[in-house]
Amino acid sequence: MSRSNRLLRHAGSFGFAGILLVVLLVTNIIVNPARFYPAAWGTLIGLAAPLIGAAAASTPPILAGRGGLDISVGPLMGFVNAIVIKVLFLDLGVESPFVIVPVALVLGAAIGAVNGFLATVVRIQPIVATLGTYLVLTGATLTILPAPIGPAPEWLKALAGPASIVPLAAIFAFWWALRQTPFYEQLMAVGSDDRAAYTAGVPVTLVRFCSYVVAGILSGVAGLMLTALIGSADPNIGPSYTLIAIAAAALGGVSLAGGKGGLVGAAVGAVAIFLLQSVLTSFNVSTYVLQIAYGAILVGTVVLTAVQTRLTGKGS
Amino acid sequence: MRVDRSWFATTGARVAGAFLVALVLHGIGTALIPGYSAPFAVRAMLVIAALLAVASVGQTLVILLGGIDLSIPFVIGFANVVAAQLYGDGWNFWLVCLLVAVMALAIGAFNGFVSRRFDIHPLIVTLGVGMVVQGAVLLWTAGFPSGSAPQAVSSFVSIGGSVGPLPFPWLIPAVAALAVLVILVLARTPFGRRLYALGSNPTAAPLALIDPVGMWTVTFAISAFFAAVAGVLLLGFTGSAYGDVGQPYLFQTIAAVVVGGTALVGGRGGYFGTVAGALVLTEINTLLIGLGFQPSTVQAALGLVIILLVSLYGRERHVRTTI
Repeated sequence: MSRSNRLLRHAGSFGFAGILLVVLLVTNIIVNPARFYPAAWGTLIGLAAPLIGAAAASTPPILAGRGGLDISVGPLMGFVNAIVIKVLFLDLGVESPFVIVPVALVLGAAIGAVNGFLATVVRIQPIVATLGTYLVLTGATLTILPAPIGPAPEWLKALAGPASIVPLAAIFAFWWALRQTPFYEQLMAVGSDDRAAYTAGVPVTLVRFCSYVVAGILSGVAGLMLTALIGSADPNIGPSYTLIAIAAAALGGVSLAGGKGGLVGAAVGAVAIFLLQSVLTSFNVSTYVLQIAYGAILVGTVVLTAVQTRLTGKGS
Repeated sequence: MRVDRSWFATTGARVAGAFLVALVLHGIGTALIPGYSAPFAVRAMLVIAALLAVASVGQTLVILLGGIDLSIPFVIGFANVVAAQLYGDGWNFWLVCLLVAVMALAIGAFNGFVSRRFDIHPLIVTLGVGMVVQGAVLLWTAGFPSGSAPQAVSSFVSIGGSVGPLPFPWLIPAVAALAVLVILVLARTPFGRRLYALGSNPTAAPLALIDPVGMWTVTFAISAFFAAVAGVLLLGFTGSAYGDVGQPYLFQTIAAVVVGGTALVGGRGGYFGTVAGALVLTEINTLLIGLGFQPSTVQAALGLVIILLVSLYGRERHVRTTI
């Protein structure tokens, strides 16, 4: 297969989100050039980062198939946000990134492990298991932090400004490293057909469990990016990312049936949604119209992606 | 499917388990909180559970089909606000109900048709459509809905209402009748059989001449219809229109269905279990609030209890037993 052909097929796997992304990017640059000058890129990426992180975090359990889904990603981001600012920074006076970052990651991994345990060992349907952790985390966050509070350490705020690319780069480096391991192939095998994978000797339960742990770690990073962006702790923002993150992943070609798609696709979907919000906001329409357009474009794009897959899928 | 599976793994056992849990919770509440079993408290719980049961009719059918409907809270809010607004503008209430029902059916039919026809996960479609519906309602009312419910609806759901000499509002017998109807339709009609067939095996069912697109369209339309009914009933319950009145029902309907023993993969379960699930959720909520917990703690505890209950009787099969 020639290089251009492969590129084309690769772009096709992001669905219409890729095309939508380009169209939106051009529109955004025309409508609001100041926001897209290279000097503003740091802030811009920082604005989009939490959604990209949330979409990336939502992806691994979906890839693992058989209804795999982690709806606790948003609340976990909010929980990490509350722990980092309220408990570590304000109560304990810890400011060092060498403490805060590991705590966020370990916290994410631990809660991811709980999700994984519930969904794969106890075998509760994933959406219900993570709904349980969703409610527990939301409740715990509100108990620790009844009202928004600030500020955040300076280095953390910089992660939403000049250094905003760092956490995102870390996420994709982590995913790239995972792709080099057998885990990735096994994850996709389990997602495509878990019974075939099981008979071929893939440790299905372990692979699914790990997908939730990965989701937890990425949620921890996303929580840090959220903290960087808002520069404070807010118990109400985290949960709102949940469904949009899953929608972003789906928009970017991650099949909710499992075994198809990847983190890059999810990120493309998230950037498309971010640019959509951005362009709609700069047209200065009411938030109600914004919401209508938002929902309509989401459904429309996913339908177009399905039609496109159907048309091109016949040949491959 | 294994032949030798024990009775505890059957849907019947899950439903019985859910009713038992509701009873146990009620027992705990009666023991710990004075007045928990007082007639007024029981009536209030029944009304709240009945409203949840109405909102969960559609979620049950859709999940049996192997789908999920996230547009329910948005349709509830839509029906709630539109009914109040139009009735406030002096429309005939039955005409308002007819209009709301037709619009809800159209929204639901669109959800089901698009999801099945283009093979898109209904999670995404119903979420997107829900956002459009909510945005449209907000745009129409400029964010400030007005109007109120007619007296008939209010007394139909009022906790203090009565059916002749009996001390509960008409809502309770109506929901009981609805439950019987839904269960009969699922068990005794071609529609019900097709629903289970398509839910348990989406590949084989079309070969038995079951039209998947048609079934999804009709079932999601029914789901939206009952969400609209719940929206109008909630208007009578709270007295005034509120666009976000449906939001708690997003996860509660799913939880009620699952606690009631219906599997999210489709084809297994039924509405009787959902009624039990609605009772369990109402009992948990009332019990925890009665014990003096903060709403945030209640939410966390609710999450724990859902996990605990489902791990007791809602477990899925290991992959090795599916081969």
